[in-house]
Amino acid sequence: MSKWQTLLVKEIVHLFRDTKTIVQTVVVPTFITPLLIGAVIWYISSIAVDEGKKTYDVAVYDQNNTELTINLQESERLNVLLMDSIDQVIDDVTNDNSEIGISLGSDFTSQLKNNLSGEITIYSKNLDNFSQAQGIVSDIIDEYDDQIRNERLNNLNVDENFINPITVLDEDLTSNEEFAGSIIGGILAFLFIVYIMSGSMYPAIDLGAGEKERGTMETLISTNISSVDIIIGKMFSVTSSAVLTAIFSLLGFAVPLIVIFLFYGDSIPENAFEIISAIVNPVAIVAMFGLLIPLSIFMGAFMLAISIYSKNPKEASLLLGNAVIIFFIPAYVPLINPGIELDLVGSLIPCYSFALHTNALIAGNTDWFLYGATLISNILYCSIAIYVTYIMFDDEKIIFRN
Amino acid sequence: MIEVKNLSKQFKVPTERKGIFGPKKKNFLAVDSLEFNLEKGKVLSILGPNGCGKTTTLRMIAGMLEPSKGTAIVDGLDVRKCKHDVKSKIGYMTNNTSLYDRLNVIETIKFFADLNQIPEDIYKPRAEQLFDQLDMKNYLLKRIADLSTGMKQKTSIVRTLIHDPEVVILDEPTTGVDVTGQSVIIDLIKSIKDSGKTLIFSTHQLGEVRDIADQIVCMKSGKKVFDGTTQDFQALNSNKNFNEIFMELVNE
Repeated sequence: MSKWQTLLVKEIVHLFRDTKTIVQTVVVPTFITPLLIGAVIWYISSIAVDEGKKTYDVAVYDQNNTELTINLQESERLNVLLMDSIDQVIDDVTNDNSEIGISLGSDFTSQLKNNLSGEITIYSKNLDNFSQAQGIVSDIIDEYDDQIRNERLNNLNVDENFINPITVLDEDLTSNEEFAGSIIGGILAFLFIVYIMSGSMYPAIDLGAGEKERGTMETLISTNISSVDIIIGKMFSVTSSAVLTAIFSLLGFAVPLIVIFLFYGDSIPENAFEIISAIVNPVAIVAMFGLLIPLSIFMGAFMLAISIYSKNPKEASLLLGNAVIIFFIPAYVPLINPGIELDLVGSLIPCYSFALHTNALIAGNTDWFLYGATLISNILYCSIAIYVTYIMFDDEKIIFRN
Repeated sequence: MIEVKNLSKQFKVPTERKGIFGPKKKNFLAVDSLEFNLEKGKVLSILGPNGCGKTTTLRMIAGMLEPSKGTAIVDGLDVRKCKHDVKSKIGYMTNNTSLYDRLNVIETIKFFADLNQIPEDIYKPRAEQLFDQLDMKNYLLKRIADLSTGMKQKTSIVRTLIHDPEVVILDEPTTGVDVTGQSVIIDLIKSIKDSGKTLIFSTHQLGEVRDIADQIVCMKSGKKVFDGTTQDFQALNSNKNFNEIFMELVNE
């Protein structure tokens, strides 16, 4: 074995004998994160299901007891509470006694009779995103609106199409692959980057600032191993931990999915199979890993450089905690803007380009020229980060900074 | 074997004056124009109070720190020009038990032997002999984190000697070790001396110096204040013991 390989083996053994590394690399991505995400999804869907069965209190002020109020009262999902004034309606909604408040103008009925427009005010707090009350009320009002419009058109002997000259038919031609790419691809890329960051951070701190603090760095440089061997050995240890974390995180999501498909396959919609098969596409997986490896080496070398510069692990944690934002933000942008398209400049931005290439690889519409640009730029960043780490490692002012 | 020529090391150290990016710095001469020679197979002890430049001097001789001025020649090799060749001739033990907590003793020794590219059939008998000599047989499979300070120090000594270096540098080897441990380490240093290796060690234990060293270099504020044999050291004042002579030298 060469010297860097000897160091790599030692670092990996040393790292993985630490419970913190096992927890960070294996336990959290494989078990804890999928369980947490599963629990959150279950909780949110159970709230949505409960909301679907709920009956909402609606405060209504209607002096003339119009047909609309009767329609609202007929709805099984609404419990109409008749109020004596607008102020009562407002108070009722403000004090959370009713989900929605409705007031009909005093001239509402006469306005409609005179073929004019009647005014309705809806009061709500708009804080509960899951509440279906406003939707139910709006549907009833729209239905009543249509009914009156049609009556007026009939009275005038005018066809409905007269006031609707254009009928728009909306057909979504998004393929399952494109859907998977835009939504799941973004999430997958973001998770990969988060896990690479969390998987590299502790090893980088331990193998840089940690070794300086424990004095083992001095022991290591007293031997005739070169700085290049030390950097390569340490950087591959950090990268291995990062890639392992990413792989375990994939397994953490893949294993439950496989179990669900094997045992509950019949109850899963057909297009869900197509979406999954778009993700489990060998070309997409290989190409994703092709980008992921230089990216993880770049991130590992970057973190190692900061860790080596730091006087102790506490300073390293503080500096790295702030520095990882430069990876985090570019990966987050495509997640919140799924429709964003990659161009040449974007293909040179690490993490951002990875996230968009992941989308495109899953959707099957990769621009291989831009893929090449990203791959080359990532290799370049990776080489620069390794060189900076090497310079820092060779500088006795930094190595003996503590 | 070792020639130290006009060896100097300057550091930047923080002052009490504050600047925009933290405390302002000033130059500090940690080692100032140090000169001495050490013959092959001899033992040199470097003495001096804390902060006098002993560790910095040892680190420069071992090729771990670049001298600001001057140089050290180890077995004909200039540390400024052939740092890595010098390192392979030296076994350097730091002044704290700096080993990997999560490796056991055997794994630690194997790691350093592999780093020095020593084949298994050579380093294993050598390690076993050292384990016997240092009475470590019952601790070989224990992780470093579970060892006492004395046992960690012994492990450090074994890893320092595992590649059979021509020059051994020990920075305060008996610090933090109990009396029994100190005696074992001193016996080992004597056996290193008997094997004909050149040895430099720094210490605060003047009894060790009298028993082991052939030559003494005493430092104060980065400068050499004495260089001679143990007999020369005693001859500075025959009515006083080593401790008293040392105190006189560093307090002058």
